[in-house]
Amino acid sequence: MRRQLAQVETTGTSREFESQVLAVDHTMGDAILLTVSAPTTVVQRLNSGQFFNVSCRFPGSFDPLLRRPYSVYRAHQQPSSLTFLVRPFGRGSAWLAGRTPGERLEILGPLGNSFVIPPRAQRLLMLAGGVGVAPLVMLSDVAVARGLDVVFVMGAADAAGLLPASELRGPVEYVVATDDGSRGHHGLATEIVGDYVHWADQIYACGPEPMYRTLRTVADTHRINKKPGVQISVERGMACGFGACLGCVVETRRGMIASCVDGPVFDFDEVVF
Amino acid sequence: MTAVTSHGTADLAVDLAPHNPRELLLRNPFMAASGCFGYGEEYAGVIDIQRLGAFVSKGITPERRAGNAMPRIVETPAGMLNAIGLQNPGIHGFVKKYPTLWDSWAVPAIVNISAEAVDDYAMMAAMLDEQPGIAAIEINVSCPNISRGGYCFGWDAEMSAEVTRAVRGVTTLPIIVKLSPGASDIVSVAIAVEAAGADAISLINTLVGMAIDVRRRRPLLANETGGVSGPAIKPIAVRMVYQVASAVRIPVVGMGGIMSLNDALEFFLAGASAVQIGTGIFVDPGLPIRLIDELSQWLDEEGFSSFNQIVGLANVGFRSGDPHLFRFREASGL
Repeated sequence: MRRQLAQVETTGTSREFESQVLAVDHTMGDAILLTVSAPTTVVQRLNSGQFFNVSCRFPGSFDPLLRRPYSVYRAHQQPSSLTFLVRPFGRGSAWLAGRTPGERLEILGPLGNSFVIPPRAQRLLMLAGGVGVAPLVMLSDVAVARGLDVVFVMGAADAAGLLPASELRGPVEYVVATDDGSRGHHGLATEIVGDYVHWADQIYACGPEPMYRTLRTVADTHRINKKPGVQISVERGMACGFGACLGCVVETRRGMIASCVDGPVFDFDEVVF
Repeated sequence: MTAVTSHGTADLAVDLAPHNPRELLLRNPFMAASGCFGYGEEYAGVIDIQRLGAFVSKGITPERRAGNAMPRIVETPAGMLNAIGLQNPGIHGFVKKYPTLWDSWAVPAIVNISAEAVDDYAMMAAMLDEQPGIAAIEINVSCPNISRGGYCFGWDAEMSAEVTRAVRGVTTLPIIVKLSPGASDIVSVAIAVEAAGADAISLINTLVGMAIDVRRRRPLLANETGGVSGPAIKPIAVRMVYQVASAVRIPVVGMGGIMSLNDALEFFLAGASAVQIGTGIFVDPGLPIRLIDELSQWLDEEGFSSFNQIVGLANVGFRSGDPHLFRFREASGL
């Protein structure tokens, strides 16, 4: 006897939306600020540190196949939109950096966890490396709006690669370092960040993996009993964005953790580099 | 009218284990492929997973596995390479959580099992046989056989059959054997696992490939080699489904680079009774659900009252019942 199939239940709600490019602004050398439309429900529930997986190909094309993850640089209510910082680096980002206003994009998100501002934290230290600055700009906005004190340290290869100071809103102390010494400290941002560790209640960092290795030394030298806490946002190539494929894992003391759902923000002391 | 047939009237249901009293009845021929859908729960808040024909879990192994070092994935032309390394909680960790969860779901849940010894496959199948919420077992034979110096089970007809027999001996659950495209004669493997008691065959698993980082002069994947998937492998998959479907009488489940209804139809017409979507879900999570409605509409437009009417329609060998003729033509290049 054939079984009767149970009644189908409706559960899922798609997190994919079609978006329109609203503006393209050149910034930080060869990078662009790409502002795209987004549903109000998406913008309203978004937290700093979260990201979106953006399809970087024309409709009907399968190349490059995988979506690219982008943290939100800034979210806007009027009109409801998101800004991503895009540096042409590989095939996907080069395609995305070539879009013009009016073009359509397929976007999935918001995905991942977010930065946390502890309830009693008043002084926040941010450390940005290159395009890793993106999620920290949004976090800085949130912190300033709450009346918190922000020191924003940024490192880049040269002066052109730095975030323009005018991009930071409110009373933020902005300190910069360049590899070639063309502006600010001549050297790594991690070399000057130690001066602020004792001041800070919480540290936030986003940048390339070598930056995290040198940050480890700074954190170990200047912190007492692992205070202040350090939250980092890691960048991983990924496929699904939902913790299904396990292609984007980060090695932590708890094992291999999917950065797309249990990241991209991690407790620095949990991560094994 | 239920959501399943909201776009058409054609019957989409298919039984992937018609010779097994326990059946493997799918309400439509669209499945999520192993390794691309986690354990189902990852997508529960993203798509309406209960509407799927079925889904296949990530590969489960006898012991917990931490998986490979990073990088685990690399994009390739119209496709990707992966070497995740079967990161999973192991069969004992698995049975503590998922059978009970799945038992409350309408969608059939299929467990994919991987091992490096025949006894381990049987051990896992025996454990699964006693669990609720499991509709079938999919055997991944694309694993190294430790007792044969690491030679892949799936590349050898007799080794694949041995695993199938061992699993058949300990469970009445429907068994799907997922074939490896690395086999020198995939049709021989298909015939052997059918004789060994498989209820259905799924193919193809990924093709072993690699990519090199020219700047570092090292393989891009930490594991050096990985499995190629995505649209790039679709023609190979369609050819293998066509060949296998002409050679066996049990249902065939096709997969490899499906990104659209047209892709899925190629597999159905080649002889697949169902398809699995894998890499396609990564880039387009809504794809498998959308394909259900698109297939229903297409069948209506083309005048078919049942999905089963189109299975194998393009397959000359399938219809003539003479698989060897096709195999000879293929092998000889005529």
